Amino acid sequence: MTSSARAYDGLLSRVAQTRDRAAFAELFEHYAPRVKTLLMRSGSTPSAAEELAQEAMLLVWRKAHMFDPARASAAAWIFTIARNLRIDNLRRGSSTLYELDPTFGMEEPQQPDAILCGAEDAQRIRAAMRTLNPEQALAIEMAFFQEQTHAQISQTLGVPLGTIKARIRFGMMKLRAFIERDAGASA
Amino acid sequence: MSARRHPSEERLLAFAAGTLSVPEAVVVATHLALRPETRAWAELGEAVGGAMLDDLAPSGLEPDALDGVMARLDDASDIAPPVPRTADPSLPAPLRGFALGPWRWLGPGVHVRDVLGPRDGDCRVILLRIAPGQSAPRHTHGGVELTCVIEGAYATEDGVFSRGDFEEADPNVTHQPRVVSSAPCLCVAALDGQIVLPGRLGRLLAPFVKL
Repeated sequence: MTSSARAYDGLLSRVAQTRDRAAFAELFEHYAPRVKTLLMRSGSTPSAAEELAQEAMLLVWRKAHMFDPARASAAAWIFTIARNLRIDNLRRGSSTLYELDPTFGMEEPQQPDAILCGAEDAQRIRAAMRTLNPEQALAIEMAFFQEQTHAQISQTLGVPLGTIKARIRFGMMKLRAFIERDAGASA
Repeated sequence: MSARRHPSEERLLAFAAGTLSVPEAVVVATHLALRPETRAWAELGEAVGGAMLDDLAPSGLEPDALDGVMARLDDASDIAPPVPRTADPSLPAPLRGFALGPWRWLGPGVHVRDVLGPRDGDCRVILLRIAPGQSAPRHTHGGVELTCVIEGAYATEDGVFSRGDFEEADPNVTHQPRVVSSAPCLCVAALDGQIVLPGRLGRLLAPFVKL
């Protein structure tokens, strides 16, 4: 997975730099079917998910020049494209709130300490996620894939809201601590 | 106990996941625009989203999906025009995409205006401007209140909140922020339900003051 995850970063960079259609087709083959799954798990019908997945990949082509491999993995960047498209589809125009993504016009110059070193490395993220306990991993996953608020997750699992929030909070802190330690160790 | 000045990690994850309500996302985005150091949390959430995306089982696409998209790569005719940004350019970027209602008087030195657009049920966004030395009307919270300071500073029982600081109000606490900056304090807030002004004055004002 490691080498292939890196390979997707390279493919996306080639799309950005040389408008490489073959590289785009490879990205499409991997990501379009997964973006479709992501959207279906977030509540889209299969046909709406299909259409949005195709739109998302078209945006990947059009916005590729904004991809910065030093800041995000191809997977994370394509995730944000799909997320923004889904948000706009539900609540038109509200994805402009995410335009403070580092690739867009910034309010203030990026400060070095604002960059989470290592988060751009898909392998590190995966290694970090393996350190979560099952409850933390489930709470974080549900926050992503089911268009569920924390209150709804709490109801689904029959666990108090405060517990869900704590699982997500401690899970996130664990991920960050792991990534920072790991990045420090390999620097 | 000193309160934190940034959104909780679980709220930042919901922002990154795209599941936060729009009014809440407006206040979180304002904070992130003014406080770059918090962005690492949102980016961590996006990185997690990417790793999960990579690991999802693929769903079959229409057989002609790739060909159809490849054929559209050079066609720019369906690109949506950018969202017009007509509101006050002195506001942080996340607020510039919304129209603003007129300033309304709410009490001595206190003005409020609606940020039009972001709504989720009863939850909506307002800008609050309070003059130096003045307090917001003493109030308890009908629902969640998220606040981010855009200019100036206010103090509560929990300490001083200044530019970029984010506060999540505790529904059990009666709250009376007092402006401690020499310039007026401008805040953006997401309110869920009506703010309840306690006491006789509250009952007296309730029919007139709709915050």
